[in-house]
Amino acid sequence: MKKYLCLGCGFSYDEARGLPEHGIAPGTAWVDIPDDWVCPDCGTPKSGFEMVEIPYWSRT
Amino acid sequence: MSVSFVLRAGERGYSRLVSTGVNATYVAGHPDGVITRHSSFNFHEYQSGIAGFGSIRVFGDEVFSPGGTGYNMHPHHNFIICAFVLGGALTHVNTLGKVDELLAGDYYVFSAGAGGKHAELNIGQEDARIIYLWVLPNQLLAPPSYLRGRFDAKANADRFACLVGNEPGALPVGQTLKVTRLVTGRNGTPVYRPSPARGVYAFVIEGEARIADTVLGQRDSMALTGEDRIEIAARSGTDLLLVETAL
Ligand SMILES: [Zn+2]
Repeated sequence: MKKYLCLGCGFSYDEARGLPEHGIAPGTAWVDIPDDWVCPDCGTPKSGFEMVEIPYWSRT
Repeated sequence: MSVSFVLRAGERGYSRLVSTGVNATYVAGHPDGVITRHSSFNFHEYQSGIAGFGSIRVFGDEVFSPGGTGYNMHPHHNFIICAFVLGGALTHVNTLGKVDELLAGDYYVFSAGAGGKHAELNIGQEDARIIYLWVLPNQLLAPPSYLRGRFDAKANADRFACLVGNEPGALPVGQTLKVTRLVTGRNGTPVYRPSPARGVYAFVIEGEARIADTVLGQRDSMALTGEDRIEIAARSGTDLLLVETAL
């Protein structure tokens, strides 16, 4: 399960979490998201996302 | 001595955003608001350049025309967004409840984290000149935060002034990132010492500096890796920004 970050605004997509509020079920792989999908916050195309290996914030 | 790249001023991406047409809601100012943006890294419609360096993804050299021009309120997550005001006045509004006015020398660090919006506006009478730096965070969806600082060029002449990072007087970001500014009042060759295994992106705001046998003029930049000392032969009147990043 990978994470992707929008280079236009920083919006993050997590394959494990999906985006149920935007009709993408948890567990949806990045490759299975249509090529014409755009960032829900800023409209940047899918190609403008970068795969990142950054953990989530935790209160430590 | 390892030079990752040299980027001349004229090789940067260039966008000119006007406040009418497709960008009418994104770009504030009316009817003749104009934003010019020179991008050192791959950004939006500028998709052929260098993708980034270390955790840096955006280094934008921007000018907002007077009369309310800028970016209307728009959302961000995750990115750590820094603005360094070079001239004019910038009004920054964010969803942490902050309304701030920044003048030449002022800067901020806005960590968008779990989500925040901001507006960037020039409500002054002259051009606002701003450098925007976006850096990847080391943790996603952190609580958003806003900090602001001031760089006093006179008090810091001919020394490396740490603006962002873990040093006294600098704005902390809680990760490997250090932004340093050098403004020279005389010719000299100060030596910058990065921490081990870091990369340094050097951008000449004004003047001229020679680094690693490369002469950088105004708005030229370069990136270096694997250095423990970087000699910067700078002319008097040079204004230089150094961004030190994890690689
Ligand atoms: Zn986006």
